[in-house]
Amino acid sequence: MWKDIGDREMGKIRPNSFSSRIKSNRISNLQLSNNKDIVSPHRGSINSLQVDLTEGRYLLSGASDASAAVFDIQRATNYEGDGLIAKHKCLFSVDKQHQKGHKYAISSAIWYPVDTGLFVTGSYDHHIKVWDTNTTQVVMNFKMPGKVYRTAMSTLATSHMLIAAGTEDVQVRLCDISSGAFAHTLSGHRVYMVYKVPVIMYYMVFMVADGVMTVEWSTSSEWVLITGGCDGAIRFWDIRRAGCFLVLDQSQSQLGQRPPVLARSAANKVSVSKSLSAGQNLLVKSRVPQKKYANGHGMKQSTIARMPSKGSARQRLHPGMLSIQDRATAHYGAVTGLKVTDDGMYLLSAGSDSRIKLWDLESGYNTLVNFGKVRLQASKAIQLAVSQDSAQVFVPCMAVVKAFDVWSGKMSLTFRGHYESVNCCWFSSQDQELYTGGNDRQILVWSPSKTITDDTNGRQAKDEDSWSD
Amino acid sequence: MAMPVEMEMEMEGRGKVRALIEKATNSTASEVDPRLLKAIKSVVRFSDSGLRLAAHTLMDLMKRDHSQVRYLTLLIIDELFMRSKLFRTLLVENLDQLLALSVGFRRNMPLPAPPAIASTLRSKAIEFLEKWNASFGIHYRQLRLGFDYLKNTLRFQFPNLQETAARIERERRERERRTREILQNKFETLKMNFSSFKEEIQATADEIGECLDIALTKEEGVPHFLLDDEDFVEFRSSELRQIRLDSLKEGEKVHENSDNKVVFDALRELYKLLVTKHLVSVQEWISLLVRVEVADNRSRDSMLKELIDIRNSLMSVKKDCEESGCTLPKTVNKNEEEEEDFWEEGNFGLAENGSTTEPEKRREVQSSNIEKKSKSVEDRNSKTSNKQSGNLAKVSASCKVKAKDKECSSSKDKECSGSEKSVRSELLAEAPVLRWGSFMDNWGSVSNKDTLLNQNGLEFDNHWGRVDYDAVIPAEKIAELNLQAIVYQENLGEIQPCRAPLKKGGLCQRRDLKACPFHGPIIPRDDAGNQINQSSSTDDTDPGLGSDLAEQLAKQAVKNVKERDKEDARKRKLDKQSLQREKLARVREHNDAVLRDAAIASTSRSTVFGEDMGETVGENPVGRKKQTLASMLRKKVTTKDRLAQRLLNTRATEATLRQMTQGEDATYRETFPNQW
Repeated sequence: MWKDIGDREMGKIRPNSFSSRIKSNRISNLQLSNNKDIVSPHRGSINSLQVDLTEGRYLLSGASDASAAVFDIQRATNYEGDGLIAKHKCLFSVDKQHQKGHKYAISSAIWYPVDTGLFVTGSYDHHIKVWDTNTTQVVMNFKMPGKVYRTAMSTLATSHMLIAAGTEDVQVRLCDISSGAFAHTLSGHRVYMVYKVPVIMYYMVFMVADGVMTVEWSTSSEWVLITGGCDGAIRFWDIRRAGCFLVLDQSQSQLGQRPPVLARSAANKVSVSKSLSAGQNLLVKSRVPQKKYANGHGMKQSTIARMPSKGSARQRLHPGMLSIQDRATAHYGAVTGLKVTDDGMYLLSAGSDSRIKLWDLESGYNTLVNFGKVRLQASKAIQLAVSQDSAQVFVPCMAVVKAFDVWSGKMSLTFRGHYESVNCCWFSSQDQELYTGGNDRQILVWSPSKTITDDTNGRQAKDEDSWSD
Repeated sequence: MAMPVEMEMEMEGRGKVRALIEKATNSTASEVDPRLLKAIKSVVRFSDSGLRLAAHTLMDLMKRDHSQVRYLTLLIIDELFMRSKLFRTLLVENLDQLLALSVGFRRNMPLPAPPAIASTLRSKAIEFLEKWNASFGIHYRQLRLGFDYLKNTLRFQFPNLQETAARIERERRERERRTREILQNKFETLKMNFSSFKEEIQATADEIGECLDIALTKEEGVPHFLLDDEDFVEFRSSELRQIRLDSLKEGEKVHENSDNKVVFDALRELYKLLVTKHLVSVQEWISLLVRVEVADNRSRDSMLKELIDIRNSLMSVKKDCEESGCTLPKTVNKNEEEEEDFWEEGNFGLAENGSTTEPEKRREVQSSNIEKKSKSVEDRNSKTSNKQSGNLAKVSASCKVKAKDKECSSSKDKECSGSEKSVRSELLAEAPVLRWGSFMDNWGSVSNKDTLLNQNGLEFDNHWGRVDYDAVIPAEKIAELNLQAIVYQENLGEIQPCRAPLKKGGLCQRRDLKACPFHGPIIPRDDAGNQINQSSSTDDTDPGLGSDLAEQLAKQAVKNVKERDKEDARKRKLDKQSLQREKLARVREHNDAVLRDAAIASTSRSTVFGEDMGETVGENPVGRKKQTLASMLRKKVTTKDRLAQRLLNTRATEATLRQMTQGEDATYRETFPNQW
C-alpha cells in the first residue's frame, strides 16, 4: 500500500489504477465488521437490501414481516462498548401498523434511482407501493395479479419512470410512476412445468413457484429489461418494441471472456458497442449474422441451427413476437438471481439448479465460467452483488455468502456469520462494504479489516491473552 | 543446524498437543483431567502453531458422534477460549458450526447419544456462550450474533449468571448509597446542633458534679461548717473537686439518708439522664462520624476529637457517680426509663392513687410539669432549681396523674390552661378502662426503694409496730407484686340441645357439649330433627362449638370412606391400564426385535455389531471392565434379548425370503403385465 502511494506520488501510476488497486485490496480484506452494527428492527427474514444510488448513505431493507426500514450507514445513532461498536438504528420503518402498509412479506424494496425522496416496495400481498421517504406515506399503489417477487427501476432512465415487476404471473409488468398505470405487459415467459414424481405414498412436488422471479434493467441502455423466469429462461426485452429480442440459451457457449476491448482498434470498439445497442433495436434474425462478425471466437453453434426446427407456427406471428417460440433455457429450474455488471457487458445469473452463470451480453452466450460447486437457495429470489470493477461477485449460498472471481470463477472469500440462509447482499462501492441480510433477521456489515491505527486504544487491551498458568 | 531441530521440536510439540487432547477427551469422567488440561495449556501457550493445531483438533473432536467426547472437548475449548486471543479468533470464525455441534440447534444435526450427557452438553454450551459473550462479545461480532440468535430467535433460556450477579451488585450499591445518604443527613443535623448538644451535656455533667459535691459535703461537712448555696459554687473548679473526690474516696462511702435524700434523688435522675441519653447519643455520634464520608474531613475530625473528649469526661463522671455510693441498681433504672417513656406517650388515663403527697406542692409541681412538657432540659437543670427538680423528678409521674385526676373530678383548678385540657381529653379518649386492682395503689410511683416489712399485729407491746430496718422486701419483689393481674374469663355460649327426633314425638332436649349419649354427635338439625349437611367445611376447633366439630368429623368420616372407595376404583383402573400398557410394550418390543433381526438377517452382519457381540460375550465372564466411551452408547443386552434374537433369526430370514420373492413377483407383474 505504501509502495502504491509512493508510486502515485512519483506519478508512476495513474489515479484511476491507484484507486482501483486500493479498492481491490480493501475488497480482498472484507470481514465481518465488529464496529458497525445495524440494529435490525425486522421480525422476519430480510429479503432485500439496497443502498441509495445518489449519496451512498441510506440503506433500505425489506423484510418478511411486511416491514421496510431505512438506515443511515454513514452516521451511527449511538455507540456501545466505550465507542467501540457503532450502532446504526433505523431512521424509520414502515410495517403492518402503518395505515397503508403491506399486509404480507415485502420481497423487494428499492430506491428511486434519481434521489432518496421515493422508494418502492413490492410485496406478497400483490401490491407495489411507492413511498415518500420524508413523510413515509404511500404516494402510489399498484395492484398486481399475484405475489410480487422483484421490482426494478432503471438507473439510466431519463425518459421514463418505469418499475419493472416480476410477479407470480408469467407476464412482466411495467408500472409507470408518472401516470400511475401499467405501461406495458411483457409476455413471453411460460408456465413452469411442475414435476410430480410419485413416491410411494405421496407426490413429491419439485417446483411449485411460478412466474418471474427476478427482473433487472440493463446498465447500458435505458430501454433494455432483463427478466429471469421460473421457466429457467432469461429474456431480454426492448420496452419500445413488442416481444423479447433475446433469450439466453445455456447450450450456446463461448469459452472465456472476450478479448479485452483495449486490444482492439478504437473503431472496432465503437462497432461493438453499437452492435449491442443496434442489436436491441433489430430483429432477432437480422442480429444473428451481425454477431458473427462482432464476436470473433468461441462460437460453437449458430442460433440458426435451432430456429428452423420450430416449424411453421411462427410464420403466423408478428415478427416481433417470434422469440416467444424460443424455448431456450438458461438454467434448469427457475432463475433466482440476475445481476448485470456495471459496464453492462456481462450478466451473472443464479438458478435454482445451484448454478451461477456468466453471460456475455453482446453475444448472448454462456461463457462457461465454472463457479464451482455451490448450493443456492431454490425457493426464493436471491440478490447478487458485484463489486465496482466487476472483479468479484457476491453470491448468497445458503447460510454463507461467497465471493467469486467473475472471470475465473474461483472462490476468493467466504463470509460466515449468518445462522440461517442469506437472501440478499448489496455491495457499496463507495465504502467497499458489503451488506447481507438473511432469514435470521440480521443485517450484517462486512467491511475491510481495520488497519493498525486502532490497536493502540486502551480498551483494546481487554482482548488479549490471559494465561494464568 | 538449528532449524531442523526446532522443526523437530515443533513437530513433536504438535504431535503432543493432538495426543494430549485426544487422551483428555477419551474419558468417561464429567471433568477433564486437570493434569492433562494443564499439560495442554502449557504446550499450547508458547506456540501459535500448536494453538492452531489444537483449535483444529478440537473442532474435529466436536464432530465426533459421541456427546461425552463433545462435552469434554467443549470444556477444553472453554479453557483455551478464556485465555488465548489467537484461539478466540480462530474459533469465532466457525462459531456457528461449534454452536450447532454443541447446542444442537439445527434440526438436521441433533446431538448424539447418550442423551443424558447431550443435555448437559447443551446447557454447558449455552452457559459458555453467555460467558464468552459477556467477556469478549464486544470484540467479536460473531459471538454477539450467536448469542443474539440463540437468545432472541431460537429463544434458548440462558442462565443469565452475569445479569443476576450484576443485579445483586446493583442492589448492594443502592443500599450502600442510601445508607450513605442517611449518614450524611444525620451528620448535617449533628453539625447544626452540635454546640447545643455539647452545652446540654456539659450542663448535666456539671450538675452531677454539684450534686456529688453537695452530697459529700453534707455527709462530711455538716458537722464542721454550714453549707451555703454560694459555697459550693467555689467547689466547681475541677481541681478542687478532684481533690475533694480523691480525699473522699479514701473516706467511707456516703450513705443515703433522709437528709440528703433529695440530693440523691436528683443525682439518680441526672445519672439516668447521663447514662441513658447522653452517653448513648455520644456513642452514636462517634460511630456516625467514623462511618460518614464527607468532603471536609477537618471539621469531622475535630468534631470526632471533641466527641471522644466528651465521652471520656462523661465516663469519668459516671465513674464518679458510681463511686460516690448512691445506689443505682440497673433494674430500677430500667423501670424508670420505661415509666418515663410511658409517660411521654401519654397513656395514662383513669389512674387512682392511694399514696399521699402534700397537696400544697401539687400546684407547683403541676405548673413545672407544664414547663417540662416543652422539654427544655436546661430549665430543669438550672442551678437554682436544683433541689426542686430532684423532687420533681421523683414525684412527677404520680403527681401529674393525680393532678389531672383531681382536675377531672372537681374541675377546681382554674389555672390549668385550655391546651392542658385538650391534651387531657385526648389522653382520656385513648385511655383503656381497667378493672380495679391492688396494682393501682402504686401506679406511676417511683418505687426503687426496698419496702419495710409491716409486722403490725405481731407485736403486742408496741401497737404502732416495731420498726425493723432489716426486715425489708426488695424493690424487685414489690414491683413483681404490683404487676397487673388479669383473670381469664371464658365466655361460654349457650349449649345447643341435641334435637334428635324421639320415637314418642318431639325432639331430644338434652344439652351436651359434643355428643348426646342417646343420639350420637350433636349436629345441626332442622325443625323436624333431620340432620342438615352443610357443604361448607370450616375448620372450627373451638371447644365452645363442640357440636359443630362433631358434625364436621362425621362428615369427614363419610367423605373419607367415599374417597377410599373412589381411590380403589381408580387404582383398579390404573392397574388395568398399566397391565395393558405393559402388554403393548411387550408387543412393541417383540416387534422391534423382529424388525431388528430382520434387518440383521437381511444384511451381512455389520462389523460393528459383530464387535459388540464379541465384546459382550467376552465381557460377561470376566465381569465389569473399565467403563469406555463405547459402553456408554451400548444398550444393555439381556438374556432374553439374546434368546429372542436366536429364535427370531430363523423366523426373520424366512420372512425376508418370502417378502423378496413376493417383491420379485410384483415387479415381474408390473414389467410384463401382458404376460401375467
